[in-house]
Amino acid sequence: MNDSKQTTQLIPQSENDLIVIQGLCKSFKNGKKTLDVLKSIDTVIKKNERVAIIGPSGSGKSTFLRCINCMEDPTGGSIYFNGEDLADMRVDINKHRESIGMVFQQFNLFNNKTVLQNIMLAPVYLRTKKAGGLFAKPAVKRQIREEARETAMNLLRRIGLEDKANAYPSTLSGGQKQRIAIIRALAMNPQVMLFDEPTSALDPEMVGEVLDLIKELANEGMTMVIVTHEMGFAREVADRVLFMNDGVIAEEGSPEELFGNPQHPRTREFLSKVL
Amino acid sequence: MSFFDEWSAFWRLFYTNQGYKRVFSEGLKNTLTIAILGLIIGIAIGTLIAAVKVMPKYKRLPRILNGVCTVYVGFFRGTPIVVQLLLAYYVLFPMMGISLGSLNTCILIFGLNSAAYVSEIMRAGIQSVDVGQMEAARALGLGYAPAMIKIVVPQAVKNILPTLGNEFIALVKDTSVVSFVAAVDLYKVFTEIGNVNYEYLAPYLMMALIYIALVLMITLLVKLLEQLLHRGDRA
Repeated sequence: MNDSKQTTQLIPQSENDLIVIQGLCKSFKNGKKTLDVLKSIDTVIKKNERVAIIGPSGSGKSTFLRCINCMEDPTGGSIYFNGEDLADMRVDINKHRESIGMVFQQFNLFNNKTVLQNIMLAPVYLRTKKAGGLFAKPAVKRQIREEARETAMNLLRRIGLEDKANAYPSTLSGGQKQRIAIIRALAMNPQVMLFDEPTSALDPEMVGEVLDLIKELANEGMTMVIVTHEMGFAREVADRVLFMNDGVIAEEGSPEELFGNPQHPRTREFLSKVL
Repeated sequence: MSFFDEWSAFWRLFYTNQGYKRVFSEGLKNTLTIAILGLIIGIAIGTLIAAVKVMPKYKRLPRILNGVCTVYVGFFRGTPIVVQLLLAYYVLFPMMGISLGSLNTCILIFGLNSAAYVSEIMRAGIQSVDVGQMEAARALGLGYAPAMIKIVVPQAVKNILPTLGNEFIALVKDTSVVSFVAAVDLYKVFTEIGNVNYEYLAPYLMMALIYIALVLMITLLVKLLEQLLHRGDRA
């Protein structure tokens, strides 16, 4: 316990740094073979920064994103967030995940819950737990539910889907599902949002509505990390673009620099293929 | 004796002499009690075993629990229910100084036995739920257990309901061996009716009819439950 306190003091996190990633490694073991997906990633995500991650498939973009909130446990390195190292297995990851919203490629709305229940579930459960769980006073529980319902309805109104509050996810279109998945994450009031290819599973027609919502959040100053194949979108929204190749950040810079004048040969090759 | 004579003899015992009272108040009641309470115990323990089996295994505790569960399932699936009943009622419980009575012993053993089967059914059900559901719940800050209870298991139960209904039907019919440990069920009551004049055809036919009626009712019940749970599906 003593040395964990010491590392807390050594955290290289200045006031404007939200997430500091140092030497992040991830390898998957498959029998006797080990596959190194991430080979020492260093980067700092600042408050209110919009970071886009691009790169060829298999370069480790999604794995990197999923390591940030430990959906995949890092096998090496550190991720400092709110003064704690998330890569340390002793840290209560659930507490930190509350402040790190995540949006998946496949939406992952809870199929057994209505839209409203999807949005309310986590805030109600976690706040009730903090208020004493099963032993919380009924009045307190009711108040938590009412507040969560109001937040949820406001968010639904914002995306124009308040009439779908009591619908089940299976009756919605892909674009609607993804927008609801985004506001489900927003209902937790996160400090940062992680988007894992949010439009890759959508019909071309529905990509626009989802990107518009993400742009709106970006304009409001939400810190976000976006793995995407939409180069135009990355260019428009991001403050910084990371180009990943073969488990490392091969090149990074502002969208103008990276798209206008790529330095790394692999970046040039990739961009010439996708643009 | 013609079948008609046998039937009227049985009917005299069953209806006129009020044998049906015992059939319902003791036979049917015990059969259903053992099956229903057994299933409830089975689902409760079975779900726990299934949860252990699908738990990530990189810590030591889940690995130990997993070993315990494997031995448990191996024993209860590897031996006949009659053997388990006899062992518990005549050997283990007296040795440990526990006297539960035959009905309670049956409920307990049938529960433990069906837990072994339910655990495999439940494990398949949990694995049939998309991993994205668990990931989404964890990403929102829910722990493993609440994510399992609130999101994964309800969807798993929906998927395995027909198989679970099957297990319940098997359980109802398996209770016909409880007279091995002196419990009174449908089989015992009808045998006693037959014992009066050593005519068993009509009583056993009647017993078969009651079992069929029970199974049909369970089938209907499962169907209704399924419709209720599938209301969130695409129309």
